[in-house]
Amino acid sequence: MAVLVDITKCIGCEGCTVACKRYNNLNFKAKPRNVKDDGNVELDDNRWTVIQKFHGEKNDKLRFVKKQCLHCKEPACASACFSKAIQKDEKTGAVVYYPDLCVGCRYCLVACPYSIPKYQWNEQFPQVSKCQMCSERVSKGDAPACVSACTTGALMSGDRDELLKKAHEIINSDSRYINHIYGEYEVGGAEWLYISDVPFEDLGFKDVSNVPVTSYTKSYLSKVPGLAACWALFLSGIAFYNYRVDKNRKSHDDDDQDKEG
Amino acid sequence: MSNKMSRRKFLKVVAGSGVLGFGVMASGCKGKPSGGDGWVSSQYEGKGNFPVNLKGRVAISATNPSIERDDEKCILCGQCVDACKNVMGVYGNYPLPLKQEIACVGCGQCVMQCPSGAITEKSHVRKVLDALDDDTKHVVVQTAPATKVSLGEEFGMPQGTSVGKKMAGALKAAGFDSVFDTCFAADLTIMEEASEFVQRLTKKKDEIPHLTSCCPGWVKYCEYFYPELMHNLSTCKSPQNMLGATIKSFYAEKMGINPSNIVNVSIMPCTAKKFEVGREELEVDGQQDMDYVLTTRELAVLLKHKGIDLNTVAEAEYDSVLGESTGAGRIFGATGGVTEAAVRTAYYLATGSNPPADLLDWKPVRGMQSVKEAVAGIPGVGAVNIAVCHGLENARQLLDGIKTAGSSKWQFIEFMACPGGCIGGGGQPKSMDAVEAKKKRIEAIYKEDTGAAKRCSHDNAEIQSIYKDFFGKPLSEKAEKYLHTTFVNRHDRLFD
Repeated sequence: MAVLVDITKCIGCEGCTVACKRYNNLNFKAKPRNVKDDGNVELDDNRWTVIQKFHGEKNDKLRFVKKQCLHCKEPACASACFSKAIQKDEKTGAVVYYPDLCVGCRYCLVACPYSIPKYQWNEQFPQVSKCQMCSERVSKGDAPACVSACTTGALMSGDRDELLKKAHEIINSDSRYINHIYGEYEVGGAEWLYISDVPFEDLGFKDVSNVPVTSYTKSYLSKVPGLAACWALFLSGIAFYNYRVDKNRKSHDDDDQDKEG
Repeated sequence: MSNKMSRRKFLKVVAGSGVLGFGVMASGCKGKPSGGDGWVSSQYEGKGNFPVNLKGRVAISATNPSIERDDEKCILCGQCVDACKNVMGVYGNYPLPLKQEIACVGCGQCVMQCPSGAITEKSHVRKVLDALDDDTKHVVVQTAPATKVSLGEEFGMPQGTSVGKKMAGALKAAGFDSVFDTCFAADLTIMEEASEFVQRLTKKKDEIPHLTSCCPGWVKYCEYFYPELMHNLSTCKSPQNMLGATIKSFYAEKMGINPSNIVNVSIMPCTAKKFEVGREELEVDGQQDMDYVLTTRELAVLLKHKGIDLNTVAEAEYDSVLGESTGAGRIFGATGGVTEAAVRTAYYLATGSNPPADLLDWKPVRGMQSVKEAVAGIPGVGAVNIAVCHGLENARQLLDGIKTAGSSKWQFIEFMACPGGCIGGGGQPKSMDAVEAKKKRIEAIYKEDTGAAKRCSHDNAEIQSIYKDFFGKPLSEKAEKYLHTTFVNRHDRLFD
C-alpha cells in the first residue's frame, strides 16, 4: 500500500489530522510540543500527522503540506532498532512500531533522516510514536484513515507502482507540476509519494540523498550476527576447556590423595 | 532461607529475562502495533475509493473572523461540505491549486449544519462583557429584525415568537447604555437605496440591474466570483453599518460623547457580519462603524451569563432618536423583504404618494421559493422587473444565466446568502426542523409588518428628522460619506 499526495489539491482543512487522532486515539488537548519559527506545528507524540502552511517568503502561493512518516522502503529506524520494535511489514509496506518489544533507547529518533519518530516524554512508561499507516486497516484492504477522510482527492492510496505511473502521468499532462516525485528515490524510496507545483525545498521538504541510510552500515553490520555466534562458540569452547582442565585437576588430586591414603 | 536476594541470584534473573526477551523477539512474537484503538465515522470503513455521500470537512483558516472549529468535536461527518458546496456554492467552485486564500464568505451555514457543535461563530461575548464592565465606555447596542423573531427559541419559547420589546428590556437589564433598532437603519437604507435605484433607472442605466448589498455574505461572494458585477451592487452600506456610522457621528455629536469612547455592538442573525465590521472600506474618518457583533445564539449566552431570563424580563421600548421603525424595516429579515420595502419607497419617490394595498402585501416576492420573480408597476417609471434570490448556489445559477444571456431581464435583484434570508442566518438558534422554524419566523416577521402603524420607510418620523438635522437628503454628500461604501475585487485571490 502506498499513498500519493497531490499538494496542489490540498485546501488545508486538516481533516486528515483529525481522522488520524480519532483512529489512533490521540489526545486532542495536548499542546503542540514543537512549533517552528514560521508558526507551523511539528509532529509530536500526539500528532502523528500535521498540515503545514506555506505562504509568503519563498512563494506567493498558498500551499499546505501533509507531514507524517514516509514509510521508507529501507527504513533507517528499523535498522537502528536492536530489539526489532520497528519492523517493515513486507505485505503492506508499513513501517510499524511494536511497543511491547521497545526498550526505550530512542535510536530510531536519531536514525530517521526525516526526524519523524517522536517520544512520549510525559508518560510514566513512554513509547515511541509515529504514523503506523493504519496498519490494521491497510492489512484488511482499507485505506489509511487520513486518506479516507480527504475531501478533495489530495490523498490517493493504492499500489506503489500504479501510483508512480499515475504521478508521472499527472506531471506529464500538466506543465505546472515540478518534474519530481518526492519519495520515489529519496533514501531508497518511500511508500508515501508527493507531487507539487512549487519546488519541494520551498515547502519544508528535506533534501536527502537517494542512497538508503541502511546501506552505509549494511556491509559490516550484516556480519554482526555471525560474529556474535562465532564469539559465543569461542567463549563456549574456552569455558568447556577450563571445565575439563578443572575436572582433570580435581580427579588428579583425588588420585594423589588415594595414593597417600 | 533469607528473604534477601543474593547478587548472584539477581544477576541470574536479569540475564534470564534478557535471554527470554531475546528469544521471544527472535521467534517472531511482536504483540500489537501501537495506534488503531480509536474509531472513525462509519463512512470511512471500507476501501478508500468507494463513492461516499459525504466526507471530510471544509477548510477554516485560523484568521477567519467569522467562524472557528474545535477539532476535538469534529467527527468528519462532511455536513459542512454539503452546506458550503450545495447550498452556498462556495466549496468546489474555485480552481485548485489555491491562490491566495481559503475561500469563505462567512455565512455560517456550516455552523447550522454541524451536528456536533464543532464549528461555531468566533465569539465576541467576552469582549462585550469587558466593554460593559468598563465605565469609560458608552456601549450602544442594536438589534437586527430577524433576531427579534428567533431569540425566544433560545429561552424555550415556541418558534416564531416575537420578542423585540423583551429583548430591548433584557439588553437594558444587561447594562447597555443605549438600545437602538437596526430596523430604523433598515428604513434609512431604504431611503438611500430606493433613491439610488430610481436614479439608476432614470440616469445611470449602465448600473442596472441594481443588486442589493445589505447581505455581507452575498457581497463577499460577488467580490469573489462576479467582480464584473460589482458596479451593479448598491453602494449603500448594510443597515448595521449605517446605524454604526450614524451612532458614531450624529448620535455622538448630539449626546456630546467622544466617538472613540463609543463601543458599537450589534445583535445579528449572521456570522458574516463579523467579517463585515472589519472591512477597511467601511471606515469613516479612520474609525470603524461597528466594534462587536453578537449572533442570536451569543446574545442568549450573554443574557444567561448575566442571569437574565427572557421569559420573565420586563418589556421596554427601543431608545429614541434611532429607535423608531416601520413595517418596511422589519421585513428586512425575510427573503424578499428588502425588495418589498424598497418598492414601497421607490413608488413614493416616483409618484409622491404611498403605494396601493397590493404593494403593501406583495405576495410574489414572499415565501421560500429559491428564485422569485415579480413586476412592479410604478407610474412614471413603468414596469420594473424584479427577481429575489436566496441561497448562494441559487445566486450562482441565476448570475450564470445572466452571463450566458448577455443581459438581465430584471432591473432589480435582491440577493440573500442564507436560505430564507436573515431568519435562516448562520447565527440563528439551531433547530432539527429548520424548514419549519424558518416558516414560522417569516410568518412572525410579516405579522410585525401588518401590525405596524407605519408601513413605509419614508413615513418614519425619526428618519425624516435625521435627514432634516444631519444628512440633508438621500444621496447627499454627507449621506455618501457616512452611509455609502465601495467594494474590493477579491477575484484574483481565488482565480488566476
